[in-house]
Amino acid sequence: MGSGDSVGEPPDGPARPGAFARAWAKALAGTSYLPMTHAQLETLLQRLTDQLAAALRTEPLDLRAGHRVATELVASHIASAEALGRTVEVIQLRLVRDLDLVADDIADRMARLLAAIATGYARALRDRTLDEQEAIRRAALIARADAERALRASEARFRHQATHDPLTDLPNRTLFAERLAAVCTAHRDDVHRVGLCFLDIDRFKRINDSYGHQIGDRALVAAAHRLSRAVEPHLVARLGGDAFMILVERSTGTGDVVAVAESALAALAEPVLVGGHDVTVTASVGVVERQVAGTTPDDLWRAAGSTLHWAKSAGGAGWALYDAERDNREQARQALSAAIPGGLERGEFYLDYQPLTSLQDGSVLGVEALVRWQHPQLGVLRPDSFIGLAEETGLIVPLGSWVLAEACREAVGWSAATGEPPYVSVNLAVRQLRRPDLVQEVCSLLRHTGLPPNRLQLEITESMMMSGAEEPVRTLRALADLGVRIAIDDFGTGYSNLAYLRDLPVTELKVAGEFVRGLRAPEAADERILASLVSLAHALDLTVTAEGVETVGQAERLRAIGCDAGQGWHFGRPAPADHILARLR
Amino acid sequence: MQRPDWAPETIDVERPSVARMYDYYLGGSHNFAVDRAAAQAMVAAVPEAPLMAQANRAFLRRAVQFLCEAGIRQFLDIGSGIPTVGNVHEIAQRHAPDSRVVYVDVDPVAVAHSREILAGNESATVVQEDLRHPERILAHPDVRAMIDFSQPVAVLIVAVLHFVGEHDRPAEVLRTLRAALAPGSYLVLSQASDDGRSEAERAEAQKVYQRTDNPLWVRSRAELTAFFDGFELVEPGVVWVPQWRPETPDSAEDAERAVFLGGVGRLGG
Repeated sequence: MGSGDSVGEPPDGPARPGAFARAWAKALAGTSYLPMTHAQLETLLQRLTDQLAAALRTEPLDLRAGHRVATELVASHIASAEALGRTVEVIQLRLVRDLDLVADDIADRMARLLAAIATGYARALRDRTLDEQEAIRRAALIARADAERALRASEARFRHQATHDPLTDLPNRTLFAERLAAVCTAHRDDVHRVGLCFLDIDRFKRINDSYGHQIGDRALVAAAHRLSRAVEPHLVARLGGDAFMILVERSTGTGDVVAVAESALAALAEPVLVGGHDVTVTASVGVVERQVAGTTPDDLWRAAGSTLHWAKSAGGAGWALYDAERDNREQARQALSAAIPGGLERGEFYLDYQPLTSLQDGSVLGVEALVRWQHPQLGVLRPDSFIGLAEETGLIVPLGSWVLAEACREAVGWSAATGEPPYVSVNLAVRQLRRPDLVQEVCSLLRHTGLPPNRLQLEITESMMMSGAEEPVRTLRALADLGVRIAIDDFGTGYSNLAYLRDLPVTELKVAGEFVRGLRAPEAADERILASLVSLAHALDLTVTAEGVETVGQAERLRAIGCDAGQGWHFGRPAPADHILARLR
Repeated sequence: MQRPDWAPETIDVERPSVARMYDYYLGGSHNFAVDRAAAQAMVAAVPEAPLMAQANRAFLRRAVQFLCEAGIRQFLDIGSGIPTVGNVHEIAQRHAPDSRVVYVDVDPVAVAHSREILAGNESATVVQEDLRHPERILAHPDVRAMIDFSQPVAVLIVAVLHFVGEHDRPAEVLRTLRAALAPGSYLVLSQASDDGRSEAERAEAQKVYQRTDNPLWVRSRAELTAFFDGFELVEPGVVWVPQWRPETPDSAEDAERAVFLGGVGRLGG
């Protein structure tokens, strides 16, 4: 140290805490939390005491020693206002005495040293406070940033889950609908065109059935990945099951979208090896391409669905292009079919009748009931415009029941001037025949209306008998047992399996009009066929009615052949019941 | 759309945090105005609050020192708070540099601060978890990476249990932790107690902590002792924290003013 030996001798070594350090430690106890044992504290304070003593002994007085001691106190976490107060107090009261420091100007030196300690302490404490404030603020910022990042990540994950298919990780219907809606709202000018490819794997159920769902799922995943690679950068979504939709956002024409559909089909054509199985799939694609302006996502979606259906019904493994005319036609049919139940309820259907006339004496043997629809917008509709639809949708069952009931109800009131009133002949659809309660239905109709069973004839087609099912045959037998007449309609146009004529309780054959039309030329093949049919029928005890008789010549030929009855314009067009009945009186 | 349950919460520094209040009691400045206001209200209700925090911190230091001397080298400090002075890893690693320490706290700010402090220390880490979900703590990959549960571990739950109400089944929490520990492990507990407190003091302290996310659940000595079920209490058992192995006889004076009861148990076998 320096030259100032005027204030006594320095102590021998640091070593054990002296009386002053112990007193200082005691004074500091409880002023704040001290992260050290009491012994460690005393050791620390002894070292600081030595520094203070050295400073007081040194000439000139080095105030930096006071700063250093204060800084070290704070660094050792002896850092409270109370600790400073006690420190000043204990130094002032005891340091000079305990260390036996003697000098003339000791009071002056002590005052300046204490001032240096207080200054240094306040400065260190302030720095420490600022540092800690900064640290906690930074921690709060980091924590908030972490939380926000985690939140964004979780939201992104949530958003991904909400917009992607979990199996294939392709976008799902939601995301696809969003993108399509965005395209449709963004480009409402007359330039932008958009295309959709609605793709469905053909008979995918077979893969699940033959290899199991696990292989099926893996095949789907493989197909999904190939698809999205093949049509990049277009958006491919899995709509569920084995259905996918591709969005072609900026099409320049039909060709663009067809090319995408072909790439998609080509990508799926290669067999995929899944779980040791070579799985081969084909797909059908419905392609729609049009200007964005003037269409909506719903329109596009629906059109793609219809078009996919066409591709499927064309046998699959290919694409079909949207055809507005066809779609309109189908939609009209669809609308018509949907209107059948309402029409039935509102009584829009009625029956016309066409006579079945004896070729022997010109009497009306029976009449065929023909359903008409008085459609509120479309006018009177003939059966060929709605029966096919009704058969497809199953609505033929309620409609057929209504026809049957209405025919029985009307027929029961008919009377003839001479002999038996004509029977009423009603067409029966295959779905009606398959219903287990048909016999019951006919039974109760006859009972309620009082129509004799032999005045009801049910016309069935040949094809109905081709299914080989037991049930319809049993039903027909039961109906025949009631005494109801059974006729085979359009005989000769289907597979005219003669075997069923032997087994079935048929009473009449109605020969299709196309044989009758061929009767113009004498000795034509049609006449020989008809003649054979008639003799065959008669051999089996069946009567024969020829349909489509339009001329007197045809009627003459038919009578000559021995045909029993005729039906057609020559004998009378379909007309309301009273018109026909007027002829009977 | 509804937020899924794994979505994290946001940080709200507008509410006082018990970790930062504790830091304030210990003389630290790792706190915000809202924490200081709550801490000052607590001091108004219970003037000894800073003393309690200091006594509790000193108990932690003596307990860790004891554990180090008992040969423990793995520490799981649950509810570690703001790592103010005298952290477990400082004490333990000074004693044995290979000591491994995992801090666990539910307060994201406390965790962020701890992470800063522990940056570069390969034997200490911090995870954000909740004492009420011990199975998640035990399964946490960072916990499993740092702590070998086939060796003795000291589990420290110091000045935390009074934030766990009965509806959160603290006994079950402790059973779950105990089941994961190897024989020779230790459990250190301390918590606020209302033994010897007036009804008015209790109510006022309750009120202060109702404002934080953590209301206060004080317990009796018997209740805290029961939490050591399965452990053998080391001397002197569950006592006011200044009385637990004091360094000097006079530092245990007026011990009940510390409000905290504490103890250390050893898992036998």
